[in-house]
Amino acid sequence: MSALHAKLRQLRTQAGHRQVAVPLATARAGCGVATAKGHTPAGASLSPEVRRLLQRHAQLKHGPTYLASTDRRVPGIELSPGLRYTETRVDWLTPPTLIDTRFARVPPVHHQHLLHFDTETTGLAGGTGTRAFMIGAADWIDGHFRIRQLTITSMAAETAMLRTFATWIGNDSVLVSYNGKCYDAPLLATRYRLARLPNPLAGLVHIDLLHPVRRHWKGQWENCRLATAERQLLGVVREDDLPGAEAPAAWLTYLRGGSANNLRRVAAHNAQDLKSLAGVLLRMAGMAEEPSGTMPTH
Amino acid sequence: MNALPDRYATDELVLAAPGDGRTLAQRLAKRYAARITGAFVVSGREGSFAPLPEDLPPALAEALRSRGIEQLYSHQAQAWKATQSGAHVAIVTPTASGKSLCYTLPVIMAAMTDHAKALYLFPTKALAQDQVAELLELNNAGELGIKAFTFDGDTPGDARQAIRLHGDLVVSNPDMLHQAILPHHTKWAQFFENLRYVVIDEVHTYRGVFGSHVANVIRRLKRVCAFYGVTPQFILCSATIGNPREHAEALIEDTVTAITESGAPTGDQHVLLWNPPVVNPDLGLRASARSQTNRIARLAIKSGMKTLVFAQSRSMVEVLTKYLKDVFDRDPRKPPRIRAYRGGYLPKERRAAERAMRAGSIDGIVSTSALELGVDIGSLDVVVLNGYPGSVAATWQRFGRAGRRQQSALGVLVASSDPLDQYLVRHPEFFQGATPEHARIQPDQPLILLDHIRCAAFELPFNGDETFGTEVATPWLEVLGEEGVLHREGERWEWIADSYPAIAVSLRSVADGNFVVVDRTDGRQTIIAEVDYSAAAVTLYEGAIHMIQSTPYQVERLDWEGRKAYVTRTQVDYYTDAIDYTRLKVLDCFESFRAGAGEAHHGEVHVVRRVPGYKKIRFYSHENIGYGPVNLPDQELHTTAVWWQLHQAILDAAFEQRQQALDGFLGAANALHLVATVAVMAEARDLQKSVGSGDGAWFVSADLTGRGQLRGPDGQPSALAPQAPFTPTVYLYDAFPGGIGHSEPLFQRREDLLVQSISLIERCDCRAGCPACVGPVLAADEQAGDDPMATTPKALALRVLALLVAL
Repeated sequence: MSALHAKLRQLRTQAGHRQVAVPLATARAGCGVATAKGHTPAGASLSPEVRRLLQRHAQLKHGPTYLASTDRRVPGIELSPGLRYTETRVDWLTPPTLIDTRFARVPPVHHQHLLHFDTETTGLAGGTGTRAFMIGAADWIDGHFRIRQLTITSMAAETAMLRTFATWIGNDSVLVSYNGKCYDAPLLATRYRLARLPNPLAGLVHIDLLHPVRRHWKGQWENCRLATAERQLLGVVREDDLPGAEAPAAWLTYLRGGSANNLRRVAAHNAQDLKSLAGVLLRMAGMAEEPSGTMPTH
Repeated sequence: MNALPDRYATDELVLAAPGDGRTLAQRLAKRYAARITGAFVVSGREGSFAPLPEDLPPALAEALRSRGIEQLYSHQAQAWKATQSGAHVAIVTPTASGKSLCYTLPVIMAAMTDHAKALYLFPTKALAQDQVAELLELNNAGELGIKAFTFDGDTPGDARQAIRLHGDLVVSNPDMLHQAILPHHTKWAQFFENLRYVVIDEVHTYRGVFGSHVANVIRRLKRVCAFYGVTPQFILCSATIGNPREHAEALIEDTVTAITESGAPTGDQHVLLWNPPVVNPDLGLRASARSQTNRIARLAIKSGMKTLVFAQSRSMVEVLTKYLKDVFDRDPRKPPRIRAYRGGYLPKERRAAERAMRAGSIDGIVSTSALELGVDIGSLDVVVLNGYPGSVAATWQRFGRAGRRQQSALGVLVASSDPLDQYLVRHPEFFQGATPEHARIQPDQPLILLDHIRCAAFELPFNGDETFGTEVATPWLEVLGEEGVLHREGERWEWIADSYPAIAVSLRSVADGNFVVVDRTDGRQTIIAEVDYSAAAVTLYEGAIHMIQSTPYQVERLDWEGRKAYVTRTQVDYYTDAIDYTRLKVLDCFESFRAGAGEAHHGEVHVVRRVPGYKKIRFYSHENIGYGPVNLPDQELHTTAVWWQLHQAILDAAFEQRQQALDGFLGAANALHLVATVAVMAEARDLQKSVGSGDGAWFVSADLTGRGQLRGPDGQPSALAPQAPFTPTVYLYDAFPGGIGHSEPLFQRREDLLVQSISLIERCDCRAGCPACVGPVLAADEQAGDDPMATTPKALALRVLALLVAL
């Protein structure tokens, strides 16, 4: 094995292959340490040339080096092996019974039917190799905002997570997301297909707030990301927020035996996203009822 | 020499009325008898027909009849029978023999009766466009309701969804399958669930590195199909190669029924092998192939014959186009009669060229191998090859471009000064009697295999001891696990990295990343061409003249990392030619055997290729008018090789001077490379030769006198200290990282190669050596006698080879 390994490494270096992107966090971890041990081919006969190539290779390419951590606490109850579930109810705004969603070209919706959702994924590369490791969904129940989150702590638990999420969705659910039409929904469709399960999102009404936000405020704000929208419209300022780009590394670190700290921060970030989804939706629905003069003119 | 391009305007050979191949062949043979080393005719053939199959759906039969097809060629009928029996089928018949109907019929039948889907793969986009056009015509004629779409890099994003859901027939290429379809297979779920046929045309092009990649893409395709519970039937088509069934089976790793007898009628094909005349008897120099090709093409076009010229390189395409345009397109107000066609043009430009050719408004086309395949450009009369394409199969494939049913066609192979060309043109019996080459692939080449297991793991997780192709994937998965892109959980290996591996794997070249050529003339920022990574170092260096449709652009800046070359329009009377050096060093020896007084080895080597500069060459006169430096990173290659060595003591005893031994090795390398290229039926560029020290300290290249010039690691001429160790080594190496399987068979045949090389040199007509045996030599050497102790390159090479031959 190690002979094959060493040979491949040499070959790859020589072939001029570019490096596959490694999550930032891991890239900063031990440079070359993991690869240096045990993969030196046939000791004494190693020519300086090959040595040089291996050294160059080691600087470029390194396997993951994670320190085992004692902080392995992932919140919630275990629904099935590797599947964690959390549920919180927060008092967060008060929705009208019927929400005027015409700004999104959707007839008014009873607030009970809304299902806000957001996934955290292993990356942005797309295709069949990207998965969600966390699905958050929130709805209005008895006047409270209920936030439910599913997190997998093993790959094998993905199917159970997908099944559970499917039970939260009814035929009359109206999905609310931020860029979910282009990102979260197709990604989940792929995951359901790979798990050989029916896609529960198919055919549902889906309000993707990114598009109406863009229509109204593009050019007025520095960008139309959810973080900007929540600050501009709701005055939300996040503290100790884990940037979305670091979510993949957070989960991977945990999966490989590392600390759960950042994974918990991902969950907090996801919960805030869900709250902001609801907030932005209500704010935009409210604007429609205001006199037209106060509507932004763009 | 040819400074006045219209000097031949009134050449007596121009045929007054539009001629046929036979007449032109006869006139050329009469006038230029001395240049023609071989002339033969491949007789035309009556067609062999079969009635339309009875189990054809009536609507389809009706559509065929309305298109004037009342019966099938025998091979089409055979293909129908075989596909209906459920077999994988390989159809191997010449260009324009109605191959596509062999797969069109079963595909349409399945779509009409079962709503089954089909995937067509063509090696190039241009071919894909043609095929859809043809199928749509049949579809429209019979109102069959088949929905066929091309899906390639040019397909707009909003059309893709409709194609995935509604296409009965999706026409694409292996690169798109690899990078866009398989990694997103869930979006294609409905398509895969109903996939009945996979049609792969031009499979002879899937050989060597490209073929090995494609075989792995097919493994991935089958793996994804298995996920959707289907086992599609493969229909493969190929031009003539030596091992069609074996090759088809290697590609799809399953049993294949081969259909090899064409029932299509053909006209006579006249073939001339043409060696340019000797222009300098003192130096043994021949006129350039370029000037001869130009002359033959001009005669043919003036005789009213549609002519296609094949050139070996993109820059040669541009040079020849310019020469022909100087004659035929002097009036810019008239539509052009001459066009260039090659890779690197933008799709729109190529489509326009194809349309113009089909419409018949073009009289002369100059192309690279891009037109070797079945791109529909209408009927042609004459094909001129400027140089041997490197294989017998490709030569016939190109000649096959000319031919109309009722009329004879002409193909002329003009030999260049390349030794392989000279060898072939002087041994017409070899060419005439040769079996076409075998296509070889090596899908389990470690680098290629690792790349595709990587891509496959992204598409679907690996489970347990799942095999990929013929090997258990586990050790490879472990490598990927250590790299951090896969995560193992129990028996399952899942993709975990935030990357899209197919993007980093190019099927067609070793290192990824094509270069784009950006025109910055007058402040523009327009992409005008693309260049392969492998060709960039020798065509896009700063100062290079890069020709596009014979318009010269000069490279002002090359951004190597960013894969961009910035050029501006320029007016110059020269073109540029890169100088490159190769240096090689042994890393690991697998096996060694005695070879006479020396040794033969097989193992791994490290190759460094460097482009230190370029020459400026004036148009028409081809004089060298200057040099320029090039500053580019060395290109390194780790590959397998066969090499022969003789020890210092043996050499000291056999040669008076070390220089003689070097000359002998250089000559022996030349002969061995020539023989080996033919022996393993490699493409010349896939197998390379080198003479060096064995430890990378120095290498030898031929100088202008044909004698060996020692060069140091920096490529500069140097001399060897008298006490320095001296172990000259001749290498034949595989020009692909990790090797693609050429060196192993060469090592097995090492003794045979030496014997054949000796026979090649001994039987050569030259006195002291020539490009066809040991390489070009100086005139002075010609004077040397037949003295066995002579020091001509020929004699020295024979001395080296004799020492290596087992007693």
